[in-house]
Amino acid sequence: MTDFSNAMLVFWKDWREMRRNYQVIAPILFVPLIFAVILPSIIFFVPTMFGIPESSFQIIGPIFQSLPPEIREMVATMGGQQQMLYIFGLYFFAPFFLIIPLMASSVLASDSFAGEKDRKTLEALLATPLSDGELLLGKILVSFIPAMAVTVLSFAMYCVVIDLAAMPLFNGAVLLPNLLWTELIFLVTPTVALAGIGVTVIVSFKVKGYREAQQLSAILLIPVLAVIFAEISGLIIFGPLMILILGVGFAALDVVVFKVGIALFNREELLMKGI
Amino acid sequence: MLAVKAEGLTRKFDGFTAVNALSFEVDEGEIFGLLGPNGAGKTTTVRMLSCIISPTSGMATVAGHDIRSNPTGVRRSVGILTENPSLYERLTALENLEFFAQAYGIKESRQRAERIRELLEFFRLWDRKDDKVTVFSKGMKQKLAIARALVHNPTVLFLDEPTAGLDPEAAKLIRDMVTEMSGKERRTILICTHRLEDAERVCTKVMIIKRGAGVVIGSPDELRLRMAGRPRIEVRVKGDGESFADLVRRIPSVIGVDVINGRIVVTSKNPEEAAPEVVRALVNGGAMVLSVNETLPSLEEAYLRLIKEDA
Repeated sequence: MTDFSNAMLVFWKDWREMRRNYQVIAPILFVPLIFAVILPSIIFFVPTMFGIPESSFQIIGPIFQSLPPEIREMVATMGGQQQMLYIFGLYFFAPFFLIIPLMASSVLASDSFAGEKDRKTLEALLATPLSDGELLLGKILVSFIPAMAVTVLSFAMYCVVIDLAAMPLFNGAVLLPNLLWTELIFLVTPTVALAGIGVTVIVSFKVKGYREAQQLSAILLIPVLAVIFAEISGLIIFGPLMILILGVGFAALDVVVFKVGIALFNREELLMKGI
Repeated sequence: MLAVKAEGLTRKFDGFTAVNALSFEVDEGEIFGLLGPNGAGKTTTVRMLSCIISPTSGMATVAGHDIRSNPTGVRRSVGILTENPSLYERLTALENLEFFAQAYGIKESRQRAERIRELLEFFRLWDRKDDKVTVFSKGMKQKLAIARALVHNPTVLFLDEPTAGLDPEAAKLIRDMVTEMSGKERRTILICTHRLEDAERVCTKVMIIKRGAGVVIGSPDELRLRMAGRPRIEVRVKGDGESFADLVRRIPSVIGVDVINGRIVVTSKNPEEAAPEVVRALVNGGAMVLSVNETLPSLEEAYLRLIKEDA
C-alpha cells in the first residue's frame, strides 16, 4: 500500500538534495529565463527602440499565411510592430513553453532516479521499508512539482514581458494571459512534463548515471523541435486545434510510458543495473 | 533463538552463480562473520538477507520474518551498513538521519530527535550535525552510516566491511561498539569482511565463503584448529635459530621444523610431550633457550591456506 506521507518524505529528501545541486538548478532556471524573459525582451523591446529589421518580416510571412483566417483578418489591420508582437508573442513563442516543462522534468527525474545510482545512495534507500509505490510516487512528485512551478512562473514572467511591450502599442491592452495560453500552460504542459518523467524513469533502468539518463531522455525534444520548425516554416500554427492535438498526443504518450515505467519499476532491477 | 537462518540460499546473475546454496544459522546476540576474499559472495548474501535483492532459490528468515513472503517485516527489523556508506552528501548529518529515521517508521519527532542525538553523540558527530556529509572524512562517513543503520533500533544488524578504509583508532571504535551492542543489547550482528583482524577480534562465529559457497563454519578458535592443524612449539634461542634446527629435527616425535624470523618453530603430533624433549636437545647442543611457547597457527594462515586451495 502506498502511504502518501512516505512519498512526501522521499519528495522532501530529494528536493533538499536537488536545490543544493547547481547541475540541476542551473538548467531549470536559465532555460526558462532565456525563453520567457531574455529572448522575448530582445525581440519585443529592441524594435521599439531601433525599428524592425527587414529579416523579421521574412519569418513572419509563412507564419502569417498559416494563421486562422479570422486572426489573419484581425492582424491585417495592424501596423508592423503590432503585427510582430501579436504574432510572435501569442503564437510563435508558444512551442518554447513545451521545452520548459520537458527539460525541467527530465533533468529533475534524471537526478532523482539515475542520480541516486551515480551517488551510490540507492542501496540504503532500497533497504528501507518504503514500498515501491512510495518511492516511485515521491520521485515522480519531485520531478513534476518543481517542473510545473518553473513552467507556470516562466509563463507569468512571459505575460509581464509581453504586456509591457504591448501596452504602448495596443493602447494599454493586456494580451496575455488569454484562453489559448492558459490551456497550453495548464492542460498541455503537465502532460509534457509527465512524458519527460515517464521516459526518464524507463531510461534510468538502462543507464548507470545522471548524465546518460538526461542525454537519452532528451529524445523527447525531437517532436517538440519538430513542432517549432513546422511553425517557423508555416506548416502549423499554435491554435486551438494544435493545443488539442498536443494535449491528446502527450496524454496518450503519458499512458504508454507510465505503464511501461511502472511495470519496469523494480527496486532490484534499479539497483543491479547501477552497480 | 535463531536470529538468522539461511537454507540453500542461491543467487545467479546471467548464468554466473554469485551465491551457491549457502546455509547457516545465527543465534540471537551472536556476532557472525562472513569471511571471504573479494567476489566471494558476501555482499550478495547480505543483500538477499536484507531484502534488497531476491534469491534465485533457497530461503531465509531474519528476525523471524521470511525474506520472500515478508520483505517489509525483514526491512523493518534490520539495519544495514552497505558496502558504500550510501549517504546523501548534499544533506547534513542530521538531515540524513532524520530521513532514514522517518523512512524506518519513527514518526514521533521527539523520539526521533532523542535517538538521533544519542547516536551522533556516541559516534562523536554531534558537533558536526549541521555540516553537509560531503565535507566529512571517510571515517566520519562510515560512523554516520553505522548510526543510520542503528537509527531504528534494529534487532539484527548487517555490517558490510565496517572497518574498510578506517584508521586504527576508528576501526577499534567500531569493533568495540559491535562487541558492546552484542554483549549489552543482545543485538545480532552479521559482519561481512575480508579483514581477518575484524573476524578474529569480534566474531563469535565465522563462516568462510569462497566462490559463493560456504567452506567452513565455527568459532575463530575452532577454525584455527580445524583448518591449520595442531598447535606448534616456538622456541627463541640466543643467536641464529638455524644453526640449532638440526638438533631438533633428530627428535623422533617431531614432524617438522621451520626457522621463522630466527625462531625455531616445531610441529609435533603431541606438542605437550615434545616440548621438554626439544628444550633438552637444544640445551644439550649448547643453545641458550630464551623462551618456549605453544602457539596456534593464526586464523590468517588458516584462511589463506583454505582460500588458496583449488584457487
